[in-house]
Amino acid sequence: MNAVKRVTAGGILLLLPMTASLSAHRLDEYLQAARLSLARDQITLELDVTPGANIAGRAVALVDRNADGRISPLEAEAYGRLVVGGIHLDVDGRDVPLALSHVEAPSIPEMNDGLGSVRMVAVGSLREPVSAGHHQVYFRNDHRPESAAYLVNALVPANREIAIVGQRRDGQQREIRIDYIVRPGWPVRVAWIVLGLSGLLGLVLVRRVTPARPRARQAHARL
Amino acid sequence: MRNRHIIPLLLVLLGLVGVAASTARRPPVQAGATTRAVTAAKAFLATLDDAKRAKANLELNVKTRTIWSNLPTGTTLQSGATERNGLKLGDMTPDQVKAALALVGSTLSQAGFRKAMAIVDADQVLETNSAPTRAPAARIRFGRAEYYVAILGSPSETEPWMLQFGGHHLAINVTLAGRQNVLTPTHTGTQPASYTVDGRIVRPLGGENDKAFALLNALSAEQQKQAILGYDVRNLVLGPGTDGKVIQPEGVRASGFSPAQRTMLVDLAREWVGIVSDETAAAKMKEIEANLSDTYFAWAGATTNGKGAYFRIQGPTVLIEYAPQGQGDNNVDHIHTIYRDPTNDYAAKAAAR
Repeated sequence: MNAVKRVTAGGILLLLPMTASLSAHRLDEYLQAARLSLARDQITLELDVTPGANIAGRAVALVDRNADGRISPLEAEAYGRLVVGGIHLDVDGRDVPLALSHVEAPSIPEMNDGLGSVRMVAVGSLREPVSAGHHQVYFRNDHRPESAAYLVNALVPANREIAIVGQRRDGQQREIRIDYIVRPGWPVRVAWIVLGLSGLLGLVLVRRVTPARPRARQAHARL
Repeated sequence: MRNRHIIPLLLVLLGLVGVAASTARRPPVQAGATTRAVTAAKAFLATLDDAKRAKANLELNVKTRTIWSNLPTGTTLQSGATERNGLKLGDMTPDQVKAALALVGSTLSQAGFRKAMAIVDADQVLETNSAPTRAPAARIRFGRAEYYVAILGSPSETEPWMLQFGGHHLAINVTLAGRQNVLTPTHTGTQPASYTVDGRIVRPLGGENDKAFALLNALSAEQQKQAILGYDVRNLVLGPGTDGKVIQPEGVRASGFSPAQRTMLVDLAREWVGIVSDETAAAKMKEIEANLSDTYFAWAGATTNGKGAYFRIQGPTVLIEYAPQGQGDNNVDHIHTIYRDPTNDYAAKAAAR
């Protein structure tokens, strides 16, 4: 408890700042943090959008369309669709349209303070599950680029058959290319094992059925 | 010895080996840390009247444990109707504050407690300087009075409970589950990054910053090439509100580090791991060192100390991020960090057992 006493005593000493800066958080950035989850049949996007205090008024105007001072579920959903509509996603060059599945909005005072994040989830369903082999996801965020700061990351896939082998971004993290490998599923692997074992068994049986010819006689015959 | 005795004897031996092996896998005994915390928690609760105790002592569940944040007080957070769990220091008597801080100190190392209080003092500097120009209607408040202490669950040496100590730039979350004391997830931050107390310069997260730059500059050109990400990272990737997420590791893998580089990496991680009580931290450090070959160090930003840079340490059982928040030249005065264990946040392993 000595530390407790020391620090409590220190707390009453005069504290002098080394800086005049008082800005508690980013003021003029429209932070858009994206996380991508890869599955064989879909890509899930989690996106947190946080406008800084100096630009919050513009963001609030986008969300609170009827300007009644509160964000209704319908307004939150409309804003979510607007944001997600600015995002391009494809797998192996084939467009994957994103459908908003969840959106959670803060209060307007939180947004005005630059402390509120609109959190949304969108799902991009592939026409058919990707096959085993190499694939690439391409993601680009074109929502409000004028004051945006971006983050984008791939989450470790929940499916162990999928392994991410590379992530390439631009300098702003506005876009990312995720290279990944899909390993064959267990039915395919079991089929290969069964096939291999069958072949081995076949070889053993063939060797047993075929009468062995004495090596000396073969050598003699060649002479 | 007759043959019929051999099989039962082997089974008995096998059983003994199994018991020994399962015991060996458990972390070292930490009953001391838990006992100290339980005693301090009960002492703190004893100083409170019913109304304050009802605020300070809440149920532990998946909802309450996630109510913590990097944000200042004064605004309703998205994660719940209350901005933070517990009772704030500003609503306590001096004796209650003393007991509350003794409780916080009982779960932390001396260095960890000093770090936490240096973060609180930095926020007091922010309050002192912002109060004169603050609009009367402004809700946001900084300062020492705005830090909350909460006990989630019933303090126990066997059953899980949790201590939260948090406010702006601080969220200490210690889950105590019998022998286990788990510090993750925990957020530290500071603004200003440097201030003076009685003529002495205090840098709450100075060790984190300086050790990281030292490590980066101890890497070879090839290692730096792998470590430096080549894009801006403007904030924490897995900050508050992102429990349960695991990002794909990036950067340079420590498997290729020299012994000296490994020591520097471990020493850097200790800045976060060592916040918790010494015996708990020692067990965690051992685990991190065992996984070092599978641990990554990533960097974005300036490579010269004194300028802002983001870095990340990510291994099988640890994720640490350090993210300057400012912009332009003034990007070193406002720092956010996060410390997580993707396998054991909120003592998930104990809950699984």
